Amino acid sequence: MRDRPEQEGAAPTAVLAAAEPGGSAAQVEVLARLGNGDRAAFAEIVDAWSPVMLRVALLYVSTQATAEEVVQETWLAVIRSLGRFEGRSSLKTWVFRILENRSRTRGRQEARTVPWSSAFPSDDGETGAEPTVDPRRFRGTDDAYPCHWTPDGMPVAWQPPPEDAVMAAEVRRQLRAALDELPVRQRTVVELRDVHGLTSEEVCERLGISPANQRILLHRGRARLRAGLDEVYRGRSREGSTGG
Amino acid sequence: MVEQPDRVEPDVDGAWFEVACQEFVELVTDYLEGALPPPVERAVATHLALCDPCVRYLDQIRRTTAALGTLPAPTLAPAVRAELLDVFDRLHPRPGDGRAGSP
Repeated sequence: MRDRPEQEGAAPTAVLAAAEPGGSAAQVEVLARLGNGDRAAFAEIVDAWSPVMLRVALLYVSTQATAEEVVQETWLAVIRSLGRFEGRSSLKTWVFRILENRSRTRGRQEARTVPWSSAFPSDDGETGAEPTVDPRRFRGTDDAYPCHWTPDGMPVAWQPPPEDAVMAAEVRRQLRAALDELPVRQRTVVELRDVHGLTSEEVCERLGISPANQRILLHRGRARLRAGLDEVYRGRSREGSTGG
Repeated sequence: MVEQPDRVEPDVDGAWFEVACQEFVELVTDYLEGALPPPVERAVATHLALCDPCVRYLDQIRRTTAALGTLPAPTLAPAVRAELLDVFDRLHPRPGDGRAGSP
């Protein structure tokens, strides 16, 4: 639960400006706002980035409590060094660099020295060889419509849709559970991309993986999560049809 | 290679790529990411123009992604956030704010 939002009438532009490239007009403006003590702008950025910063810190440290400390230390360092920031990169890049340096240091102190990208060499199916949808949902290669959906295998309509208020809680519960069951590399990529909204470039940079690898992990993770939701909907329709 | 991305011909004779449903489901992420080579992207678009179940699959991937964006994510404790804002106020006083002395 957050305490009261520090809006104070400011337009929510600081977060966007803080991701703009170094030297851009938007960046110059947001740095001026922060330098002049614009508390609302700073609060906006803290609120927008702290969740994903906690997630990134957890790539290096082992507990949520340590991650919280690292993020807090990072913000304190940002506040102290703001006047010395030369604006060669975006503010966001700079903040995340501080975060990663501090997380790495804490991780080493915890003796968790293995970098993320080599810690879990390739959990299952990362090469992309395994199909992400059960092959039994498709017709055989000798069928008149080879490799097309079978009548029972084809996707069924999700009614009501996941964003409907009736479904939202169950959908979130299912997604949370399915995320926790994903192989760690898939889960990390899906969380950073889809839960926290990082771009593919940002995910590749954070994790030190190639764009192609990022797409494979995202693909496999999303496909499993979709399949999990699909099971929820198929279960609902089975219950509905046997109820009469 | 025939360049007719907008014309739908179900019975192509191999003049360009053809995508089956089972192939589409493995291309869906690269399609959403804009990472497919143009001929394959055209073949996927052609397939989607003809195949309602695959349109539904694509839609379900999008809805899954959107729903992930609604998951609550842990953030800083309110007390920690309040402390950070106080430190910010102290080190970056508003011009003319009497709380901080001039350097």
